[in-house]
Amino acid sequence: MKKASVFFSLLLVMCLMCTAVMAETHLNVAWWGNQVRNDSTQAVLDLYTKETGTTFDVTMNSFGDYWTTLATASAGGQLPDVLQHSTAYIQQYVDNNLLLDLTPYVESGALDTANIGENILDLGRMNGGLYGLCVGTNSMACLYNKTLLKEAGIEIHDLMTMDEFMAVCREVYEKTGYKTDLGYGTESFFNYVTRGLGKPLFVDGKLGIGQEEAEYFYGLYEKAVQEGWLLGGDVFASLVAGSVEQNPMVYGSSPETMSWCAFNWSNQLKAMQAAAPEGVELALTTLPSPDPVKSGFVACSMYFSIAASTANPDESVRFLNYFVNSVEANKILLAERGIPVSSVVGEAIAGDLDPLTQTVVAFVNNVVVPNSSETPKPDPDGASEIFALSRELVEQISYGALSAKDAAKTLIDTANDVFSR
Amino acid sequence: MNSSVSHRQKRNLREWLCRDSVAGVICTMPFIIGLVFFLIVPMLLSGYYAFCDYNILAPAKWAGLKNFARMFTADTKFFKSLEVTLFYAFVSVPLRLTFALAVAMILLRNSRLTGIYRAAYYLPSIIGGSVAVAILWKRMFAIDGTFNAVLGMLGIESRTAWLGNVSTAIWMLILLSVWQFGSSMLIFLSSLKQIPQTLYEAARVDGAIGIQQFFRITLPLLTPTIFFNLVMQMINGFLAFSQSYIITQGKPMNSTLFYVVHMYQQGFEFFKAGYASALAWIMLLIIGAFTGFLFLTKRYWVYEGGA
Repeated sequence: MKKASVFFSLLLVMCLMCTAVMAETHLNVAWWGNQVRNDSTQAVLDLYTKETGTTFDVTMNSFGDYWTTLATASAGGQLPDVLQHSTAYIQQYVDNNLLLDLTPYVESGALDTANIGENILDLGRMNGGLYGLCVGTNSMACLYNKTLLKEAGIEIHDLMTMDEFMAVCREVYEKTGYKTDLGYGTESFFNYVTRGLGKPLFVDGKLGIGQEEAEYFYGLYEKAVQEGWLLGGDVFASLVAGSVEQNPMVYGSSPETMSWCAFNWSNQLKAMQAAAPEGVELALTTLPSPDPVKSGFVACSMYFSIAASTANPDESVRFLNYFVNSVEANKILLAERGIPVSSVVGEAIAGDLDPLTQTVVAFVNNVVVPNSSETPKPDPDGASEIFALSRELVEQISYGALSAKDAAKTLIDTANDVFSR
Repeated sequence: MNSSVSHRQKRNLREWLCRDSVAGVICTMPFIIGLVFFLIVPMLLSGYYAFCDYNILAPAKWAGLKNFARMFTADTKFFKSLEVTLFYAFVSVPLRLTFALAVAMILLRNSRLTGIYRAAYYLPSIIGGSVAVAILWKRMFAIDGTFNAVLGMLGIESRTAWLGNVSTAIWMLILLSVWQFGSSMLIFLSSLKQIPQTLYEAARVDGAIGIQQFFRITLPLLTPTIFFNLVMQMINGFLAFSQSYIITQGKPMNSTLFYVVHMYQQGFEFFKAGYASALAWIMLLIIGAFTGFLFLTKRYWVYEGGA
């Protein structure tokens, strides 16, 4: 009897403790990123906890693992309350009703968007609702080895056309032996080029291009192989894909395994410069395109979304509002997720940014914004398969095992199959 | 009276607990729970998903045999990955076993350093499967990697990207696998020691020289061990994943695309969990059929003792 009473009283105490914990608001937050982002975001969460008492559980991952973890969590109905999202996957999550529509919170003022441009809010609008709030903007950019070009006496300029760019590649190869990484494995370059031809890669969840556009795109690689300056599959086979440290622009011991440029997102300049050998200065310009203005766009570098299954929608929105609008928080985050979307925050932190980030901000604001077109919609379901196939096709072309014409045909046939399922 | 009843109950409980069958079940519970929840249940689920359209995000929808039909009609990588995997398993496993047996024969001789040799040769088996070695492998066989540098020192100029060349990449993975011969070697070593010396003495009296002794005595008596090693290593070979996933990701041109890597890509990169489950079940059937074949042919080549 005595034992039983002790047991039950212990149980009671535990229940009380649980409710005490429950009473204090608790949010799960998830993002992908690097060490810098993990540290700064954690610092902002700590600050928020200090100010409001809301506590956090965080999940941080690399980009690849993040989506696996998230998909598994969603299968168990356990999506984090607040989650970082990407144009590559958000459409799929919206289609499956996994995210919360933020429109009512914008209307009620709980999510203050007064200082955020309507065009930026539009980037998160899908299926008639606002499912992701863009927390930073960036653009595609051609990062390049400025020191190398200077030493070789080669001049380049912003908004190069495809022909001008390819002439530079030839010249660099002849003078220095450095080859060109022509967006090998950079998914967004495909769409960038076809936009320049007047056809976006995806339209209404289907492939938006035809044989002609695909052939133009793969023809670039074919030509580069013939002229000898393409950095191809044989070099990339021994590099860790997606790693900044092993990007052939900054990594390698001889010109034939290295590239003079790298197609990437503008905010990668800082990480890339950190990985570059001493004495090598990097800079950035626009990606080449048959029509740079038609191709160019300001991108949402990432969204923050709230799970439809959250138990605390109001508190999640409050946190999101803080994350985007608080000057104090953004002085810690320092535009690492892209240029802040709130104009007030952007001005307030401008002086705190390091010179490289300032270069990037100036590039996006002064070069990209005046010379750009409408931002593409988030990728449709099935896009990751198309991109994976395209990478394989480019690889085969780089080995001289496939013609641009056949590559284009394979892509179109497969895409029709993928999108008809 | 009350206390005597409860006393008796207690004793009955203790007796019941101490019965062999009950105690056994309780003691194996940790294993049984693991087996049921982490193996049986997921397997049954994947068996169900194999017949579904399931992208993990949305609930699974019954799709009948669609996934299996797609495998044989629309998925060119299915046959490619199967071909690569079979090639890898059928080349690397016999090579590895031959190598393991050769080294075991050498290490059988007793010298003062035998212990150190055995440890040294076993080392690759422990570290060989690790991510660090995979990345090392990747760098060693790059155009500007160690291997080409060593060749250069020997006077052979080589600019081959060993992992980037369609005809050599798979061999680099096979090499890595052969290098991890240690565990098979230890098993060979212990069974070599169990071969009675009297057999060799008798053979020597009959005039059998070294090579004859090997083929007439050692090899036949080792067949049970070879059989065991072959079955285990073949299954491992079919399921090879990390080498390809980390070192080559199936490149170049899918020449190192292992079946399980293909399955992983379908499941966790394109989120086609239903299709990936179907792929997994086909692999299970293939492994089952192959192992069954080995067991059926066993009596023709495995020495089971006796006359």
